[in-house]
Amino acid sequence: MNDQVTTSPTTLSLHLTINGRDHALEIEPRVTLLDALRDRLHLTGTKKGCDQGQCGACTVHVDGERVLACLTLAAQVEGRSITTIEGLADQDGTLNAVQAAFLEQDAFQCGYCTPGQIMSAVACIREGHAGSDEEIREYMAGNLCRCGAYPHIVAAVRQAAQELRS
Amino acid sequence: MTVHDMKHADSDSARLEAVGGRLSRVDGPAKITGAAHYAVEQQLEGLTHAVLVGATIAAGKVTAIDSRAAQTAPGVLAVLTPDTIMELNGASDWLGNPPTQATYSPLVREVTFSGQHIAAVVAETFEQAVAAAALVKVWYDETPAIVDLSDRRAGDGIPIDAMTKEWGDAEAAFAEAPVRICTAYNTPREFQAAMEPHGLIARWQGDELTIWEPSQWLDGMARTYAEWFGVPFENVRLVSPYIGGGFGSKALALAHSAVAAAAAKMLNRPVKLVLNRPQNFTSYGGRAATRQTVAIGADREGRIQSIVHRGVNETAVDGMWVEPLGSVTSIMYATPNFSSKQNVVRVNTVVPGAKRAPGENPSAFGIECAIDELAHELGIDPLEMRLINYAEQDPHAKKPWSTRQLREAFAAGAEAFGWAKRSPAPRSMRDGHQLIGWGVAAGTYPVRRAYGEAVVKILADGSVEVESSSIDMGQGTYTILAQTAAETLGVPVEQVSVKLGDSHFARAGVTGGSRLAGVMTGAVHKAAGQALDELIGLALSDPASPFHGLQANTLHVRDGRIASPRGEGPELSIAAFMRAVGRDHIEARGDTVPANFTPEQRYNNYTTIATAIPHTEGDYSRHSWCAHFVEVHVDEDFGTVRVSRVVSALDSGRLYNPKLAESQWKGGIIMGIGQALLEEGIVDRRHGRIVNGNLADYMLPTNADIPDIRTISVGIPDPHSSALGGKGVGELGIVGVAPAIANAVFHATGKRVRDLPITLEKLI
Repeated sequence: MNDQVTTSPTTLSLHLTINGRDHALEIEPRVTLLDALRDRLHLTGTKKGCDQGQCGACTVHVDGERVLACLTLAAQVEGRSITTIEGLADQDGTLNAVQAAFLEQDAFQCGYCTPGQIMSAVACIREGHAGSDEEIREYMAGNLCRCGAYPHIVAAVRQAAQELRS
Repeated sequence: MTVHDMKHADSDSARLEAVGGRLSRVDGPAKITGAAHYAVEQQLEGLTHAVLVGATIAAGKVTAIDSRAAQTAPGVLAVLTPDTIMELNGASDWLGNPPTQATYSPLVREVTFSGQHIAAVVAETFEQAVAAAALVKVWYDETPAIVDLSDRRAGDGIPIDAMTKEWGDAEAAFAEAPVRICTAYNTPREFQAAMEPHGLIARWQGDELTIWEPSQWLDGMARTYAEWFGVPFENVRLVSPYIGGGFGSKALALAHSAVAAAAAKMLNRPVKLVLNRPQNFTSYGGRAATRQTVAIGADREGRIQSIVHRGVNETAVDGMWVEPLGSVTSIMYATPNFSSKQNVVRVNTVVPGAKRAPGENPSAFGIECAIDELAHELGIDPLEMRLINYAEQDPHAKKPWSTRQLREAFAAGAEAFGWAKRSPAPRSMRDGHQLIGWGVAAGTYPVRRAYGEAVVKILADGSVEVESSSIDMGQGTYTILAQTAAETLGVPVEQVSVKLGDSHFARAGVTGGSRLAGVMTGAVHKAAGQALDELIGLALSDPASPFHGLQANTLHVRDGRIASPRGEGPELSIAAFMRAVGRDHIEARGDTVPANFTPEQRYNNYTTIATAIPHTEGDYSRHSWCAHFVEVHVDEDFGTVRVSRVVSALDSGRLYNPKLAESQWKGGIIMGIGQALLEEGIVDRRHGRIVNGNLADYMLPTNADIPDIRTISVGIPDPHSSALGGKGVGELGIVGVAPAIANAVFHATGKRVRDLPITLEKLI
C-alpha cells in the first residue's frame, strides 16, 4: 500500500455547475462526483448502489450524456453541465415526461435504482434508442433493478418516447 | 368485518382510492424526483465515517493487528479492533431467546468466515476512512476451512427433528409403488442483493441512541440495540423512512450495526458506516445452499402413493439457520404416505439468512421438478399430473384450506398461455436453431399472521394522519394504508398522509413473510373505525355540534363530508365540523392484540416473532397459491437459455391494490428467472472466499434478460387469512419459477438440469 496516498492530502477548489446552479467546493482530488453530490452538496437523489460502475444507480448527465457518477472524479467535470434527478423536472415542478410515465406505469418499487433509471431513460430516448421494446431493453440494461420493475420500465420508456415524439 | 362488508368494499374497487383500487403509489412523486431521503442520507452536523476491515481467511485466529499507520493517517479519529472496541452485552435472538453469551464483540479474533469484521477505521471523511482502512495490517494463524456443502469434511450434518414430517409408511409404500422416481436437486448460495447497500448512521445524545438504518423491523432492531448497550428500549429510536429493497436481508441489527453504534458512543460523534458492495456479500447471509432428494412412488394412472424427501442446508460454524426444505413438499400434493427429514451442515460462512420465500422457494424447486419427471415417466401431461394429485385439503395438517384457487390458477394460466397447443415430446418444438420448451410449476406460501397496531388522527383541517413503525421497502405500504384509512373514514385519499419508518410511532412487528399488508390493513381499519366512531359520537352529542339535537342514530362521512344517512339536517366538511366543536384533532390507537396480553407479551409481540400465529391455527390451513407457465428458447449449439414468455396466475386472496400487487408478483418472477439461470455465489476452494461478490460477477437479471410477463389474479377474499381478505403477495411470485424454467428447459432439450443455475455448460 502506498502510504503517500494518505500522508499528503491536498484540496482542490472546484466550481461545479449542477442543475443550472454553481457550487463551490473545497475537496480532495480523489472525491468522486457521486460522493461530492451526496456527502458535500446534499444532493442525495443520485444513489450509490455499488460504487464500482456495475449497477447504474448513480447515473447522471454530463453535458447531456449519461455518465456513472461513481466512476467520475468531481474534478473531471468542472466547467461542464451536470444534471441530476433533482434538476429534471421544470422549475414549476412539472415532471419530465419520463418521470410521469414511471409513476403511471409503476416502473419502480423500492425507488433506489429509480433516479438512475430515469436519467438513463431520458438519455436513451434522446439517443434515439427507444424505437422498440427490444431496443429499450438493451439500452436500459446497464441499470439494475432488484425489485424487478423491468417490464414496467420498458412500458414507461415506450410511453415517454411516444409522448416526446408527438 | 363481515363477509357482507367485504363484498361491499370490493364492489367499490373501481374507485381508485378505495381498498382494491389501482391507485399509483403515494410515495412515488418523492421517489421519481430524488426527494425521498433514505436512511443513510440524513445530513448531520459533525458526521464521521467508518470503514470496516474484513478477514482475508475463512478460519483461524487473528494473531496481530498493526494499526499504527492507519492511526496516524490524515483525518483518522480512531481505529477499532477487538482489543479497543467497547464491550457490548449479548442480545436475545429474534425468537426472544435470551443471549447465549453475556458479552458480545462485533469485531473478532476468532475467524469463522471470510470477510468477518476484524477492525474499523473512523475518520472525518469517507475518503480518509477508506484510505486508512487499507493501511491496517492483520496477521493470521490460518486453519483449514470447510468451504461449502461439497467439502468432504462437511459431513452429514445435524438432524433438525423439528423439520421431520411423516405420515403413513412412506419408505415401504415407495418400495411397493409400480412407478418410482428418485432424484436429487441442488440450489447454490444466493444473495438478496438489494440495490441499496446495508449501512447506518448512529448518534448518541446522552443515553439516547438514534439509528438511521434501512430496516424491515424497527422494533426488533431497536430491542437489539437497547440490549447491546444496556439502555431502555424507549431510549433507542430507529428511523427508516424508505428502504432500498430488503428481500429478507434487512430485518436484524447486524455486526456492522453494532460497530457503528459503538464507535459513535466511544467518539461521542455521529458515525456513518455503509457496507461497500463486496461487503454486502459477506456481512450478512443470503439464501443457504441446499441439497434435496425427492423420491415419489405412484400407480400407473399417476396417483402418488408415497413421497420420501430428504434435505440439507448449509449453516454457519457459529450460527444456526434452517431453510425449511419440506414446506412445499408436504402440502402441494395428496399422498397417503409421506416422510420428510432435514439436516443442517456447518460450513465456514456468515450465518445464512432469509431471502424471498425462505424454505418454500428451494422446497418447490425439488417437488415441482420431481412431479414433472414423474409425469414424463408416465407419459402424462405435467399439468394433468398436478390435477390428478390435487390436494383437496392440507395433507399434513389434515385441515381444509381457507381458500385454494390453485385449480383456477392452472386453468386461467393454461388458457392465457395456450398450454393446450403444447407438443408433449421433448425437443419437438423449435424455431430454427432455437429449441423451444414449455414448462409449468406451482408455488405456494403460507399466510403468516400477527397482531398489529396503528394510530389514526383526524386533524382540524379535515386531513388524516396514519402512523406506524412499519415500513415500505417497495411493497406499497404507504399507499395501501392510505387507501384503507380513506375508505374506512370516508375521506378522499389525497387528504390522508401515512407516516412510517420511525420506531417512536405505533409499534409494528417484522415486515417479512408477506405478513405486513394483512396485519397493517387490519390495524389501520380498526383504528380508523374507532376514530370515525369518535367523530360521529362527538357530532351527535357535543352541544356545539350542528348535528346536536338531530334525531339520528348515526351519521355517515362521504368524500370528507358529514351528513345524516337520510339527508336531513346539515351537511358539512370535517374541517368545518372540527371548527364548530373547537377540536384540533381526534386520535385513535387501534390494535388487534388480544385483550388479555400483558405489557410484556405486547412488547414481545412487536420485538420478537414469538407471538406469530401459525397458519394452521384453528379450523383452516391458510396459503397463497400460484401457477407459472414459462416458455424458453435454448440455442441448440451454444446452450444459452432465454425466457421468452411468462404467464402466471396467482391467488393472493383479495388484492388491496392490484397495480402494486402485480408489480410485486412480477418482481418475484424476475428474481426467480435470475435464480434459475444466473445467480450463484462461487466460493474459492483455497480460502473459502466468495469470489464473485459484486454486482457484475454475481449476475442479476438485467432488463435485457426479461420478457413480457403476464400476471392474472385468481384470488377471492379469504376471511380466515386477514381482516380485509388478503393473503400474502411478496414472496409468492418467486415460488415455483425456477422449477417451471427447469421443466421448460427439459421440454426444449430433453436434458434435465437439477443443479441451479441452469448455465450453458450444463446443456452442451
